[in-house]
Amino acid sequence: MIAFDNVTVQFGGTQALSGVSLEVREGELCALVGPSGSGKTTLLRLVNRLVAPASGTVRVRGEDVMRQDAPALRRSIGYAMQSVGLFPHRTVAENIATVPRLLGWDRARIAERVHDLLRMLRLDAAMADRLPRALSGGQAQRVGLARALAADPDILLMDEPFGAVDPITRRELRAELRRIHAETGKTIVLVTHDPEEALELGTHIVVLRGGRIVADGPPAAVVAPGADAFTRELLGGAQPGLRRLALLPAADALDPAPAPDDAPVLPRDASLADALSLMAERGCDSLALEGASGSLRAGTLLRQAR
Amino acid sequence: MRRAWPPLLLALLLAALAAPQGAALLGGALGEAAAPFPAGRLASLALTHAGLSLAGVVPAALLGIALGIWVTRPRGRGMRPAADALAAAAQSVPPVVVVALAVPAFGFGLWPTALALLLYALMPVLRATVAALEAVPPDVRAAAEAIGVPPARILAEVELPLAWPLVLDGLRVALVLAVATAAVGALAGAATLGTPIVLGLQNQNQVMVVQGAAATAALAFAAEGALLAVAGRRQGSPARLDAPLPN
Repeated sequence: MIAFDNVTVQFGGTQALSGVSLEVREGELCALVGPSGSGKTTLLRLVNRLVAPASGTVRVRGEDVMRQDAPALRRSIGYAMQSVGLFPHRTVAENIATVPRLLGWDRARIAERVHDLLRMLRLDAAMADRLPRALSGGQAQRVGLARALAADPDILLMDEPFGAVDPITRRELRAELRRIHAETGKTIVLVTHDPEEALELGTHIVVLRGGRIVADGPPAAVVAPGADAFTRELLGGAQPGLRRLALLPAADALDPAPAPDDAPVLPRDASLADALSLMAERGCDSLALEGASGSLRAGTLLRQAR
Repeated sequence: MRRAWPPLLLALLLAALAAPQGAALLGGALGEAAAPFPAGRLASLALTHAGLSLAGVVPAALLGIALGIWVTRPRGRGMRPAADALAAAAQSVPPVVVVALAVPAFGFGLWPTALALLLYALMPVLRATVAALEAVPPDVRAAAEAIGVPPARILAEVELPLAWPLVLDGLRVALVLAVATAAVGALAGAATLGTPIVLGLQNQNQVMVVQGAAATAALAFAAEGALLAVAGRRQGSPARLDAPLPN
């Protein structure tokens, strides 16, 4: 869906990205993570030509972005950012309708789409006629996301979208994003400096450091033993082993031997970390998994983490 | 609208003072018995005065706003210092000098004064336009660009509507300055409210001087009040442009 081929970006004398190659496949939620100044936002902004490569090519849907009209390319890709940037002189509905209106949709279709989006993002329909200054931070963020999704783009770019809201709202918005990703199957590229957020949301993790990609793969793989040390420290903190267990489904470690009758039962979609936590709490070394035959054993579980 | 009342009331008061009866009353109190300037001629001079002010301000507004937009675009940013210097220089030359220097080029009459007013009104408009456009929140402009609003429409639909109240303030300052300054045109033979002042000074008729000065001030306050009224009404209705892009 999005392919970077040996891309280098220069800002004045400094190199923001050096020889980056990456492929983001359709339907992925790709989290770009790294310390500030690592080039993650620059990598995101290459996708809709807000930044131009000094060398190398960026292809979106198979076409080189530099051969496309920049505003038209941007209208085909959703974009949401931390500072939101809602138009203060326009109502919520008008803000959301920006791209559909530029695309020449008729009034009825726009009104219907705005209505659907307000519902999808759990915003009160009465909010449509309000000006952005009447919104809370979390509401403004939702409206920004609705504006990004308005013309139903197949690609959505998000630049630290949940950075400026309080922790509770952030958790809600993350859940919202995961739900929207699951429901719509859009290709999403998300920039975050929060490793937990990257591991929680991403189906594909890309770690950047000093303008280069140091890790690229599924969440459990980038924190696996033997993976890049910087990545393991960034994403795993002091406990990369536990982080990795949290990313692996318990169902994969099922042992054919049946569980003892009195074994505690783990929910179907639990992770290995959930299993380990339950064992630690109950002081037992085998669990049953809801709706499955066989058992989870401490020994098998720990071998999975390696 | 509320802000418009004080200048409008002041304009009315000054107009009463400029009227022959008012001026004569004041003259009598000061022991001046000179004949006042007739009301009919004063009114027709006020009309030319207003027209002349607009003839200077309207091109200054168009030029100032256009220049202000140009020097805040990526391509025109390099011209910013030059435009600032030009506008500052234009305002630092006293209008009397511009009128005097323009007479050989344009001859006596309205044109030297219109030119002086244009130069004089340019800086407030340019300054206000640049400041207003620079005050547009950068994240709003960045978001518009990132979701694919083309540059011309970012200007028309985002930047100008947000900048407009400050631009209007600049226009108001320019218009008031121009109305007050247009009196100087009388020296170059333009029939303005400066005419009774010049006549009064030549004939030692203080009543006429008071009439010309009061009438000029009345007109300036009326212009201020009118633009404040326009600004007040504008605030209620945000600009909307619904047209799709031409394909």
